[in-house]
Amino acid sequence: MDILFVQALLIAIVVGAASGAVGAFIILRRMALVGDALSHVALPGIALALMWSLDPFWMVLAFLLGAAVVVWFCERQTTLPAEAIVGLLFTASLAIGILTIPDHEILESLFGGFPKLPVSELIFILGAAIGITVLVFMLSRRMLFTIVSPELAKVNGGNALVGLIVLLIFATVVAIGIKLVGTLLMGALTIIPAAVAKNVSPSARSYIVLSTVFGAIIAGAGVAGAAWSGVLPGPTIVLVGIAAFLISLGFLGRRRAGQ
Amino acid sequence: MNEPVLQVSGVSVVLDGESVLEDISFSVRKGEALAIIGPNGAGKSVLLKALLGLVPSQGSIMWAKGVHIGYVPQRFHPDRTIPLTVKEFLLFKSPAFWRPTKDFFAHLDHELSIVGLKKEILGHHVSDLSGGQFQRLMIAWAMTGHPDVLLFDEPTAGIDVGAEETIYSILHRLQKERGTTVLLVSHDLSIVYRYSQHVLCINKKMICHGAPEDVLTPGDLKRIYGETGFYHHHEDPTRTT
Repeated sequence: MDILFVQALLIAIVVGAASGAVGAFIILRRMALVGDALSHVALPGIALALMWSLDPFWMVLAFLLGAAVVVWFCERQTTLPAEAIVGLLFTASLAIGILTIPDHEILESLFGGFPKLPVSELIFILGAAIGITVLVFMLSRRMLFTIVSPELAKVNGGNALVGLIVLLIFATVVAIGIKLVGTLLMGALTIIPAAVAKNVSPSARSYIVLSTVFGAIIAGAGVAGAAWSGVLPGPTIVLVGIAAFLISLGFLGRRRAGQ
Repeated sequence: MNEPVLQVSGVSVVLDGESVLEDISFSVRKGEALAIIGPNGAGKSVLLKALLGLVPSQGSIMWAKGVHIGYVPQRFHPDRTIPLTVKEFLLFKSPAFWRPTKDFFAHLDHELSIVGLKKEILGHHVSDLSGGQFQRLMIAWAMTGHPDVLLFDEPTAGIDVGAEETIYSILHRLQKERGTTVLLVSHDLSIVYRYSQHVLCINKKMICHGAPEDVLTPGDLKRIYGETGFYHHHEDPTRTT
């Protein structure tokens, strides 16, 4: 248990930080629900991997990256609202996943657990999470600029692919966090730290930094709480995050009163 | 002063199957102020966007090589839910977003003072600025990095008359002192007479192009704005060009 706990805690801190960093942009792009639903696409990936006796991680990653491209394409190319397409696609994923994943695997797939990982996978997850966090900070000027004004960003050498880049980064974060937090709750780990940070941040740069820090703290504290009380880490992380959000509402009130 | 900075020839724009602009041709020389006028829905904003490559167009749009363009769109209001400060908005123009240099801040202070804003404003949220302050900030923003050409789409839409005057004088000063080429969409003919050397009148098609005194004849104005005669020009003794 000790090794599993340390492993889970390490994953929680680095994946929490990466989730917080990319979540800051998911919230600003008003894609919180799209992002949350996107994580459900992992379920058919898990089902297929189990059926073919493959490591679910790589199948989940492939499914999520594919879904990110589909969402981006639908956003640009169709006249249907993106959320309608996302709703259809992802509830279908959930239904397929529930019907095809064996009963004894379903709880862990949905709500996470303390994963037993091969060393190579652990190193990949830690490296990917740290790499993603650095990448988000490097791209943050361009991503923020495009969110504030796509037109001005384009005139000033912006990249039309920023939307796709945010989604691909998000999909990778979900893939690396899913074994710990679960498919149903992984979306929350990207939304909650950003929502907490938004309530207490005086500027956009502090918002991105705080969202990253809160992601690490909330996920780390959630895993510690789950290990201490002997419950699943996914729901515990979400509840710690919600507690942090409620506390942050007090700061929001104080900031408004001070204005 | 005589080099053309922009040459437009036979430009047409079709959006959603509807022809918005048809066969527009004109050129702009370095340091010139060109006003683009026309009634609502004439395609003025679309023309600016076509020049910037923001909407697809047919025909030829040739900018001088290496020209650096500043653009202020019409009625741009940043989302109030984004906690963006004035400093961060200006940092979009700096490659060092996280660790800006002292030189960049010195440059910002200079640009802000030109548009009459104090540097204390850097810490304010962009969404907390008044309409006039925001428009001045947009000019400072567009001027950051010293562009050769400034494109303004109705820079005074939605702000009070006093602030409107100030903004046009700032634009005029920039054009005179720095030799910046200015392309300005406006619906106000007195501004056109006062501040621009050339005027381009469009109403989906090209109506006229030349010095305001030469081309803005009563007949042309009727062709641009219809029979109502809504836009009257009164000779302005303060005219500076």
